[in-house]
Amino acid sequence: MKLKLFFLSILSLFSLGSCIEIFDDLTIHTDGTGTFKYNINLSSSKLKINSILALDSLDGKKVPSIQFIKDEIARIKAKFETQEGISNVTIESNFTDFLFKMKCDFTNINALQEAIKRIVSEENLTKNMDDLSHSWVTWDSQKLTRSIPELTINKTKELTENEIELLKQGKYTSITRFDKTIEKFDNASAKLSASKQAIMLQTDTYSLIKNAKLLENTIYLSPLKN
Amino acid sequence: MFENNFPVREIFCFFSAEHDKKSTIKNTKNLYMKLSIIITTLFFSIQVVGQNSEDFIPRDAVTVFSINNISLLQKISMDDLVQYEFMEEVQSELFDGSTSGKTLKDSGIDFEQKLNVFYGKGTDHEVSGFTFGIKNKAQLFTVFDDFDKIESNIPAVEYYSSLSNHLIIKGNVGVLMRVEPLEEKITKYTDSLWYSRGNTSPWDENIDDSEQLKDENNILEEEEFDSEMIDSTGTAVAEEVEYSFPDASENPNEKNYNELKDSVLTIFQRQYLDEICKDLFLRGNNLKKSDALFANQLTHKTEGVFYMDNSRNFKKAESFWYLQSVFPSLFEEVNELYTGNVMLGDFILSDNSIELKLASNYSPELGSIYQKLNDSKFDKSILKYIHECSPAHFSYNVNLREAYEQSYKVIVPILEKQKDARLSNTLLTVKLLNEFINKEALFDTYKGSMFGTFNGIKKVKTKKIEFQYDEDYNYTEKVIEGEEDMPLFVFGLSTDRPDIPNLILDHISHLTSQCKNYGNYWKFEDAILESVPLFIINKNGLLLFTNDADLATNHSDGYGASSLSGKQAKKIKKSGFMYAYADWSKTIEKLPREMFTNEQSEILDAMREKTGVMELLSSEATDRKTTFEVVYNFIDKEANSGKYVLDLVNSIYVLLK
Repeated sequence: MKLKLFFLSILSLFSLGSCIEIFDDLTIHTDGTGTFKYNINLSSSKLKINSILALDSLDGKKVPSIQFIKDEIARIKAKFETQEGISNVTIESNFTDFLFKMKCDFTNINALQEAIKRIVSEENLTKNMDDLSHSWVTWDSQKLTRSIPELTINKTKELTENEIELLKQGKYTSITRFDKTIEKFDNASAKLSASKQAIMLQTDTYSLIKNAKLLENTIYLSPLKN
Repeated sequence: MFENNFPVREIFCFFSAEHDKKSTIKNTKNLYMKLSIIITTLFFSIQVVGQNSEDFIPRDAVTVFSINNISLLQKISMDDLVQYEFMEEVQSELFDGSTSGKTLKDSGIDFEQKLNVFYGKGTDHEVSGFTFGIKNKAQLFTVFDDFDKIESNIPAVEYYSSLSNHLIIKGNVGVLMRVEPLEEKITKYTDSLWYSRGNTSPWDENIDDSEQLKDENNILEEEEFDSEMIDSTGTAVAEEVEYSFPDASENPNEKNYNELKDSVLTIFQRQYLDEICKDLFLRGNNLKKSDALFANQLTHKTEGVFYMDNSRNFKKAESFWYLQSVFPSLFEEVNELYTGNVMLGDFILSDNSIELKLASNYSPELGSIYQKLNDSKFDKSILKYIHECSPAHFSYNVNLREAYEQSYKVIVPILEKQKDARLSNTLLTVKLLNEFINKEALFDTYKGSMFGTFNGIKKVKTKKIEFQYDEDYNYTEKVIEGEEDMPLFVFGLSTDRPDIPNLILDHISHLTSQCKNYGNYWKFEDAILESVPLFIINKNGLLLFTNDADLATNHSDGYGASSLSGKQAKKIKKSGFMYAYADWSKTIEKLPREMFTNEQSEILDAMREKTGVMELLSSEATDRKTTFEVVYNFIDKEANSGKYVLDLVNSIYVLLK
């Protein structure tokens, strides 16, 4: 419940038009094991966040203290560590620049997906449980299909021009890495790395709020090992 | 609700006892009863004639806004009206959609009478509401449709009640009132009753409940049956359900803590309401009768008048309550000092401006301190630091040294009269400090005059982290320069001793590398919201604090030809000890809401979307009063002036509450 408060605060940062950068980095090895990294960078809005943290409440909701956020992060980290198939969980928090970096290893992609779903469900982070019913990532050793969960709320109608402008400055970057080279991919906006073993999708937070499918992609790997 | 103890009836009862003859008693009683009713009704009917809405403001009211020309408000919709803070206390369950699309004109209110909004806070309870004239009672009850009629024991008085609001009608006047006992008192009495019944602390057993109450969604979610609690036949597994039910031995009639508290609250609400109603409608007492200053203010032919009895606010303040209990004779002396401390004001409306003329009245003793405080030469050097385009600024010009000396002369004799060891020791400390402290250095460092400006919203330099990717999307973090919007402020103090602030800053600079001297200014890194620097300019007889890097680096000697001059500069110089200016459209819209408290935000919200200029001017202080003038020139000539009046009333109400 408390984590929900934290996430609501993060969402209210969206509504306040704070500039946010989110970055996910998924590495999948040929044997199905891998590493997942998830970074939230709020450093370009630290003035606004500091001014919000100085308040008791905002729009009728209590503003969490830094200590509270630290405790919640520690609690979630502990929860992740107990999930089946998940190991080496680290969460780095930088409260000077408001940069949060989470990293974990997984034995297979389903273990990661189930762990996230379980925590989202237990912490009531979404009211729409349908968000959790379908798979965001599927992997069959040759093909990876991925998207991001539609946990964001379509609030664009309530946003002012100024807030929309700030949201457009926000960024979501999604990187997927493999041991093999990538043969082809469906999303035309995706960019292949020089080594052809990594692919990147980038969009602004405003567009993502309007359409979470922008980051959907199916990636086909080359059958031959490099 | 009201006790049946009118003096007239008591007199008749008395006489009936004197003539206690069995054969005639029944007829006599009937006769007296009828006579009693006729005479009492006549008595109250006569009293009602000539009584207007201003005659029913309770004596407990400390702040009153009386709007004379309420026809101004006819165009205001009821929905808009109930949005105001000053209506909030009484409107919570008044308007439930039945007012939608209606204006004050449709509400049955008599626009020939004044609308008086009042608020008062005593040591036991708060009272708020408004009094108004009634033209059409049937129309009135289409607005006050949640009110049920309750039998009244006061002749010629009709009484209606909703959940916590009370509408009392006498003749063609309505009083809408809400009485709230102070939480502290309710808790005290509830605790006393609770523990006297042998209960343990209610909080120990209610911890889980309070946790649940924190989030309603949580409650709903927890109340849902978990699938694990259902067995294969679909029957709920009872032993796994953690709900607890009262034991059979528990008395269902016994109240829990919160129920007991509700009962205590209701009893006190009734008691205070009863006292106020008796005072108003039986004894005929009201604020107009009890305060000649208020009565006189009501005779003003302006659009509205304002009244606030500061002396009662002071006396009911917690510190004064302590003073009264511990040092009663000192309380009497201080009480004397504050007597007559009343603020009186007039609203004057013209085509495109509203003026509020305020007079702050006080006792001669307090006046002598204020006179000395305000006996100060205007510090011209501040003008250099106010940009001609500054959207908002204020100046406060006082002589702290003179005020200190005068306060010493007034307060020390009061303390000398007291025969209390603790006060005597305090007095000795005060006298010794007065002798030992270098007052020259102290009051030359901080003379008392100050000013502030709002320089608009500008981009300020901050540092941010950026992820940079190589050709294989391996990333590194880099600290780069960023920019964020921030409201820019300047706050300045007059000083004749720049060496003392320099001494302090120099000391700090040795303690931390964040503080550095750049010649024309000092810079304190990350001092504001741990993100942007604070600049301190200590020159030209001023000590300035600002987050405006442009002012510090390029204009440390002032804005030169771009500084405030001409007509507006003259106004500041001539405006007694205080002057304030705000260009609404440039100021209010740009201020970020999150920087202000809820109350301040409410004022700002009321003034948002308004254009125009607001100015506050003050006069020279005399030994009895200081006058202030707030002038609000609005540009929009087509605007509903009534709405502007209400916005202003609301702003002052929120500020003074």
